[in-house]
Amino acid sequence: MILLGKIGLTLVGTAVAGAGILCSEGMLEVNVVERQPESHHVFVIAPAMLIPIGVRFAPKEQMSKASAQVRPWLPTIRAALGTLMDCQDFTMVEVNQPGQHVRVARTGGSVVIDMDDADETVHVSAPLRALSSAVEEIAEAAPAKNP
Amino acid sequence: MMRKMTQAALVACLAVMATAAMAGPPERYLHVRVEDAANGESVNVNLPLSMAEKILPTVNHGNMHEGRVTISHGDMEGIDLRSILDAIRTAADSEFVTVKNHDQEVRVAKSNGNLVVHVRDSQKDGQKVDITVPMKVVDALFSTAKQDELDIVAAIRALGDAGEILLVTVEDATQHVRIWVDSSAGQEQ
Repeated sequence: MILLGKIGLTLVGTAVAGAGILCSEGMLEVNVVERQPESHHVFVIAPAMLIPIGVRFAPKEQMSKASAQVRPWLPTIRAALGTLMDCQDFTMVEVNQPGQHVRVARTGGSVVIDMDDADETVHVSAPLRALSSAVEEIAEAAPAKNP
Repeated sequence: MMRKMTQAALVACLAVMATAAMAGPPERYLHVRVEDAANGESVNVNLPLSMAEKILPTVNHGNMHEGRVTISHGDMEGIDLRSILDAIRTAADSEFVTVKNHDQEVRVAKSNGNLVVHVRDSQKDGQKVDITVPMKVVDALFSTAKQDELDIVAAIRALGDAGEILLVTVEDATQHVRIWVDSSAGQEQ
């Protein structure tokens, strides 16, 4: 009985620790509501740590192309993300037009993009630390081998 | 007992003062607001100057390299900007250029350590343009050793040190553009 209790406690402890590690970089949130031509609702909330992990398992050829495009701008992206991490919350860009609203902001350690128009509403929130890890993963992808 | 309490209060005061001194100057933001009343459109951009200061040196593309912009000699059209700047820097506050014709009025002046440009154009819906740039920013812009370079990063740093300032306003019958620097993360001005 005591042995079972210990095994159960170990399993629960491992699960809690695993969940804690998985959520340590925050949560990625995507919420898309399409109104026209048909009504669709996509809502995804996932541990942001899955972004760099997902990048690692992406097709190598695609990753090589992305890596080649990202690498020249890597110092700029690193500087931008690094400064954003140190900044306080602020709205970077806000565009208002009749029937359309776009906002890009830094909110609580995440980049938040909100777009709202007659056809759809989009909300994306991605933690800066996860974005930084994903960019590093993309940059480190091996260049494609020439046939 | 009383003496110990006084000493503790003194230490606490010193600690607070030291923390305040170490906190450094507040973050400055460059704000851009464009409003078009005719179309009901508005665009707001806020950029921490520290961010621009760190990003620009990493951009090496086109004429931009290491936070500096190279101006081609063709663009200068034989104008020696540094000599003009030196002349303005050493001159007392005054109006340097005044151009008036039937529809337009242009004034360039130095006032209270700022380079000031006013343009009024009655042809373009009564357009008004007001530009105020601290001389320290202009100096920083031309602080590079090379004649054909502008040091954008040094200018941004100087802009951050210049405090809160309204840099540009452009107004006409329907549009309103405003560029300014302050320590607010939003567009409260």
